[in-house]
Amino acid sequence: MSEGELGRKWDRCLADCAVKLGAGLGLGIVFSVLFFKRRTWPIVLGSGMGLGMAYSNCQQDFQAPYLLHGKCVKEQ
Amino acid sequence: MGSSGGTWTNARVPAPLFCRVLTKVGVAGGAVYVAYDQGLLGNGEKGSEVLSKAKAAIPPAVDEWMKYFGWELPAPPKIEFSPSQAWNSGVQTTMSALSVAPSRAQEYTQRGWQYVRDLTK
Repeated sequence: MSEGELGRKWDRCLADCAVKLGAGLGLGIVFSVLFFKRRTWPIVLGSGMGLGMAYSNCQQDFQAPYLLHGKCVKEQ
Repeated sequence: MGSSGGTWTNARVPAPLFCRVLTKVGVAGGAVYVAYDQGLLGNGEKGSEVLSKAKAAIPPAVDEWMKYFGWELPAPPKIEFSPSQAWNSGVQTTMSALSVAPSRAQEYTQRGWQYVRDLTK
């Protein structure tokens, strides 16, 4: 794996981490307000699940060095 | 059939429990569906795409809302700091210091020993 590709993987990993943490936090807040009387634990659980999903994605990305990330270009 | 003789009260009738639960489940399910549909729960590449789309969409949206309310936000200060460059320079400095540490330690030891010997002469 080249250094540039490694850097791109780290960038993708950190971006995904931020997105998943935000989504988990948001969904945790929604569930906490709607079902669990504004307790803290659904928010913590949602954030933790988001971080766990991001970690799993990063692990898969780093352990699969032969997969190329390409973009599909539609014919015009 | 006689009238019950009761008086009219101005009591509020609460919404049925089933409707409340259904509304909550609908809102929660909708939130989960929107998160899934926007690619927030997908793989790493989709997550980074979503983040770049959000970065591109937020400043124009903020500007529009500020214009709507008639507020003016001060311009954000330009911070020229690159975390990756700072990290890389830190790693390089640390590694170069570690690589010259043995020879420097030997040199300072010799100098110190020479100084002590000169003192005892």
